[in-house]
Amino acid sequence: MSTELTQLFPSLRELKRAEKLYVIQFLVSELAQEETPLIQSGIAYPVWSPYDAFDAAAIMIKALAETEVSGYA
Amino acid sequence: MPNAQRYPFVAADSTLGEASLRPYSPLTLTYQGQTAVTAGVLDTGAAVNVLPFRIGVELGAVWEQQTTVLQLTGNLAQYEARLLLVSAIVVPFPSVRLAFAWTEAEHVPLLLGQVNFFLEFRVCFYRSQLAFEVTPKR
Repeated sequence: MSTELTQLFPSLRELKRAEKLYVIQFLVSELAQEETPLIQSGIAYPVWSPYDAFDAAAIMIKALAETEVSGYA
Repeated sequence: MPNAQRYPFVAADSTLGEASLRPYSPLTLTYQGQTAVTAGVLDTGAAVNVLPFRIGVELGAVWEQQTTVLQLTGNLAQYEARLLLVSAIVVPFPSVRLAFAWTEAEHVPLLLGQVNFFLEFRVCFYRSQLAFEVTPKR
């Protein structure tokens, strides 16, 4: 076991419970990424979601309501 | 969910690995007698449904005749969009009316968003099982 690792243990021991769990999550995530890089640098991941398009949503809801009353267009 | 239809996540682009797996629902759209058999991504982050330009054309919709202009957001904000109301079938359920923001963008997937896909259907995602289930709300 490396010296650096041995020096880490006292600090880790003093962490609060929630912080210890966070460290565990961090290490698991690091290990998972080493095995299968889920997101790789240099690759474009397209995101098309029209997030917060509230005005468009309101117009569409109104149109749906109006056609329901008048019969489907 | 009782009486739900289960569908798998589908890889949209194998080069993207796990990130490309998406919940695609098969969808049959009908507009004024014309039908398009397609699939849409169930996108809970999308405020509205989005119809790519080519599918509107396939349905026989004429861009100039759609007069309700919609402003989309994010990467779609740069393209004009217009309202299109269509009939949609998610097999095996009855037909529903869906409102779409028909976008001039070509290279965008058909998106099923809060208005109004998720108003018409109840959906449970089981991403760890690479599956999702759909059932009509009514």
